[in-house]
Amino acid sequence: MTLGPLFFAAPAALFALLALPALFFLLRATPPAPQKVMFPPLRILLGIRTEEEAKRRAPLWLVLLRAFAAALAIIGFARPSLAPEAIAANAGAGPTLIVIDDGWPSAPFWPAAKAAAESAIAEAERANQSIALLRTAPDRTPPAAADLIAPADARARLTRLDPQPWRPDRAVALKRLEATQGRFARVLWIADGVNDDGADAFAQALMARGPVTVRLPPRTARAVISVNANAEGIEASVRRTPGAGNVGAIAAETMEGRSLGAVEFRFGPGAETTTARIDLPPEIAARAARVRLVGETSAGAIRLLPAGSGRALVGLATETAQSQPLLSELHYVERAIQPFATPRRGGVRQLIDQNAQAIVLPDASRLSPPETNALEQWIDKGGLLVRFAGPRLANDADDLLPVRLRPGSRTLGGALAWEKPQALQAFAQDSPFFGLTPPPDVAVRRQVLAEPTSEREARVWARLADGAPVVTAQPRGKGLVVLFHVTAGPEWSDLALSGLYVEMLKRTLAFAGRAGNAAQGADASGPYLPERLLDGFGALKSPDVDAQSIQPQAFAKAVASPATPPGLYARAGGVADTIDTVQADEAMNTLALPVGVTRAGLDAARTRPMGGLLLAFALLVLAADLLVALMLAGKLPMPRRAATASVVLAAFALFAVEARAQPAADPAAEISLAYIVTGDARSDRTSKAGLDALAQSLRDRTAVEPAATRGIDPARDDLSPYPLIYWRAPDTPTRLSDAALANLDRYMRLGGMLFLDTRDSGRAPGPQRPAAIMLQGLDAPPLELVGGQHVLAKAFYLMRSFPGRYPNPRIYAETPASAAARDGVAALMVGDGDWASAWAGEAGDERQRELSLRFGINLVMIALTGNYKADQVHIPALLDRLGQTPSGDRRR
Amino acid sequence: MIGDASKLRAEAENLAGFLPGVLLEARKLAAAAPGVHGRRRAGPGEAFWQFRDHRPEDGAKLVDWRRSARGDRLYVREREKEAAQTALFWIDPDAGFDWSSGAGWPTKKRRALTICLALSILFTRGGERVGVLGGTPPRTGARAVDRIAEELARARIVKPPTPASRSAVIYASDFYASPDDWRDRLRVASSAGATGALLMIADPAEEDFPFRGRTLFEEPGGAKRSAVFGRAEAARDEYAQRLAAHRAAMREVAAAHGFIAVLHRTDRSAAPTLSMLVSALGERR
Repeated sequence: MTLGPLFFAAPAALFALLALPALFFLLRATPPAPQKVMFPPLRILLGIRTEEEAKRRAPLWLVLLRAFAAALAIIGFARPSLAPEAIAANAGAGPTLIVIDDGWPSAPFWPAAKAAAESAIAEAERANQSIALLRTAPDRTPPAAADLIAPADARARLTRLDPQPWRPDRAVALKRLEATQGRFARVLWIADGVNDDGADAFAQALMARGPVTVRLPPRTARAVISVNANAEGIEASVRRTPGAGNVGAIAAETMEGRSLGAVEFRFGPGAETTTARIDLPPEIAARAARVRLVGETSAGAIRLLPAGSGRALVGLATETAQSQPLLSELHYVERAIQPFATPRRGGVRQLIDQNAQAIVLPDASRLSPPETNALEQWIDKGGLLVRFAGPRLANDADDLLPVRLRPGSRTLGGALAWEKPQALQAFAQDSPFFGLTPPPDVAVRRQVLAEPTSEREARVWARLADGAPVVTAQPRGKGLVVLFHVTAGPEWSDLALSGLYVEMLKRTLAFAGRAGNAAQGADASGPYLPERLLDGFGALKSPDVDAQSIQPQAFAKAVASPATPPGLYARAGGVADTIDTVQADEAMNTLALPVGVTRAGLDAARTRPMGGLLLAFALLVLAADLLVALMLAGKLPMPRRAATASVVLAAFALFAVEARAQPAADPAAEISLAYIVTGDARSDRTSKAGLDALAQSLRDRTAVEPAATRGIDPARDDLSPYPLIYWRAPDTPTRLSDAALANLDRYMRLGGMLFLDTRDSGRAPGPQRPAAIMLQGLDAPPLELVGGQHVLAKAFYLMRSFPGRYPNPRIYAETPASAAARDGVAALMVGDGDWASAWAGEAGDERQRELSLRFGINLVMIALTGNYKADQVHIPALLDRLGQTPSGDRRR
Repeated sequence: MIGDASKLRAEAENLAGFLPGVLLEARKLAAAAPGVHGRRRAGPGEAFWQFRDHRPEDGAKLVDWRRSARGDRLYVREREKEAAQTALFWIDPDAGFDWSSGAGWPTKKRRALTICLALSILFTRGGERVGVLGGTPPRTGARAVDRIAEELARARIVKPPTPASRSAVIYASDFYASPDDWRDRLRVASSAGATGALLMIADPAEEDFPFRGRTLFEEPGGAKRSAVFGRAEAARDEYAQRLAAHRAAMREVAAAHGFIAVLHRTDRSAAPTLSMLVSALGERR
């Protein structure tokens, strides 16, 4: 039912409004309940008439307030919603066709698109019409018809709908539309605003089926079309349709989502593409895994960079003989190039296959003839080979060198040499190392020497102080061969230990860029497998189980589509690549719509349900009514009527504060003895009675004045305020909960003292004894039997034994070694004497009770004072040392 | 029957619980009170008053030989007159009297008991007899106080009987009954020769009427009568006027029959009231 712009989903509830007048009179006749008071001089009061007393009715404004609340509630229950379009929707009867563009360009405003569809579904539901839901993004399945379904089903489908990481294809949508039968009373196209080839034909076909309304987003999506990492940073190009926003920002992020840098971009007037550069040092730029448009969540607004893009992939040819890491030549190279290149180890053939832009060949590696051939071809095509000298090269030079080498090596310094180790000369102007300063303490002790005649053919990049070349290079085909005349490690020179080494390698590897397409045979290592795929919102997800691999030939041409979803792919051999959501040459134009189509904004008036709002308001009014009723009954303190509202609010605030500030009795404020509530009521009573008696003795005899004994639940309570916790074994001992055990562990670690009374003195040891069960799971320290020398025998009273209910119980306490961190004060004591019953006077004669109380006092004293009396143990030894004999009576 | 017996028993236990407290309060009160003095003239009594010369008509029996032996003249030892009077107490058994508006002060009845017992302690110290109006015969001596304490607390004498002549009667009540009832009662008492005091005890709530808002007033003790006020504070002024008028009427009735009326609030100290009563009652005898 509609009423103006209001629509009621349950109009029958409105009939209850008819009952309002009856309610009105009922409320009027019922005055608020008075407070009752006993009053002896009632006789004197009886005759008094006051003005208010005569009014036995509730005040009119109160009744009106209540009736208003009731009316609000009734209207709220009729489930009204504000839907200005509802009238328009009623124009014709018939099914509704909802076309929704679910490609990535819809992702930035997807909630609004969904809401628009939801609102259309709600309108159809009101009109009791069925719905056909047609998506425009392609699927892997062939185009199927859009069935007529009930609004509820359509809603369910809509909630499951998410944008796809590729563009909608209106040609496919047209096929779907053609498969769908019948005319529609209303066609709603929630479009992404970006044109494509099939759009016009699709729109025409839609118009043939019924009146078309197109909902267009306020701003269309933008896309990052290309990203290029270079020496200055990361350069990204952004494309838009002419209607999209012209200012924005791009950010480079690592794989983990950490931002590396961001920059603002601005489109020129009418420009469709703009470029912005995030200035980053190369080693940081190398860590970028993606570039995204800030604030736009769509697959097109994100551009993935394959792993290692922007960094040279440097192959390290593995040595034949594996040596220790610090002696391995490659270790130094690998550590040096890590900041600016991606090192990868492997055989030469393997590295070439993996598109290595440079290969480092240490001295120890041996090349087989086919490997040599492959390497030569690779260099000819533009590869960069960096070689290091060593004993092997000195004795057995091959052809892949920039210079011819003299056999043997030159040793500088040492017992049999005249020459001293030499430092490096300043780099010549034509050297790529020009500008670097060789540190004076870098000395070369041994090197291979080039034939002087071949020196002229090669380029010398670095020389020793005496002019002997140290780094030589020679172009070969399109590539370059560089030789370091020293080892890669520190055997022959200090170079590998200096920062110069890093800089030299960096400048050397800069030539790797030339290698370009040095790789050959890209189809050598199988299909591309999806690693992480983008969803429509631009988030990386693990691929579905049915994600398919892509053959390399197809991969090279792949654009984002259901068969080749965008994301990160990898091939066997560690080659990573991406399929991009948007191609660099992809056009983004404004959606062209034929004449006759109604255009509307996406966030044009939507249906707004009002029921909840009205009910909430009704509740508020009722709450106010409650306050008023309390006020009329005089139950709210109220000095002045004028200040009513403020007083009521202040009172509320005060109550709230007071309720929160209600302090619990603070157990830390005073010392109190505690026992663990085991759940065995009888045993717990004994524990309490025993500790009460002990506390009384403490008050009578010592300076300790314990407060009331507390029963604690170790699983819930904070144990830290209690110096001593008495744990009496119940009749059937059980293991504590894990939480309780953890809490007790923590208590003992923090310096508390747990006394476990197993009360099974004299019984045979066995696995069923309480201690075995109760200590199970507890992080119990090692224990030792307590003898007469223990501090327990001296803490307050001097005692020889510790009688409880049983005359000769045994006590085990944590060993001093284990308790060393707490000055030797035991955190755990286990005894079997059933002291609580003795303290409580339940068992034993007076003398035994007295002795057990003395023991209890000693126990509390240890818990409170620690090892204060422990040195008493040493008195005999001390006296002995002083040359006195200890007297029989130690109390001097 | 069983219900009655158990109720009685519970009541008795309740009494036993608070009586010692009341007695203690009463003793403290009495100790601080000015006390009852002798008649200040010779007469039958215990305390020495004066020696006077022997007169012939005294006979040999009255000669105080111990004194006379010290001189040539004969002396007679006179004692101070101590007329043993009777003080009778009556405490209102109404449920409304055993009521207190707040936890801060005792019920009116308890305060009445305290004052009455304090008075009886003072009277017995003066050698007078104390008793409960309508109860067992009055007694004298320190033990009498303990006895009447129990009797007073337990007594349920709704209509006080006519007192014996020449006795002092202390009526303790809130006196919210009609003044006419009391006029009859006091007339009979005064015509029988009794004097005494009306101890009017009031709760602060009854005096100040601190009620607000919509209030239903009920009589304690399960009476059917009740009154509702839409805004209780509106009735305060008129209530105060009526209460004042009622008190004035009571005082007038009392004065007309030779009784004094003393008003006491339970939130105030009992000592001033006690000394007022002592002095007023002392003057009358």
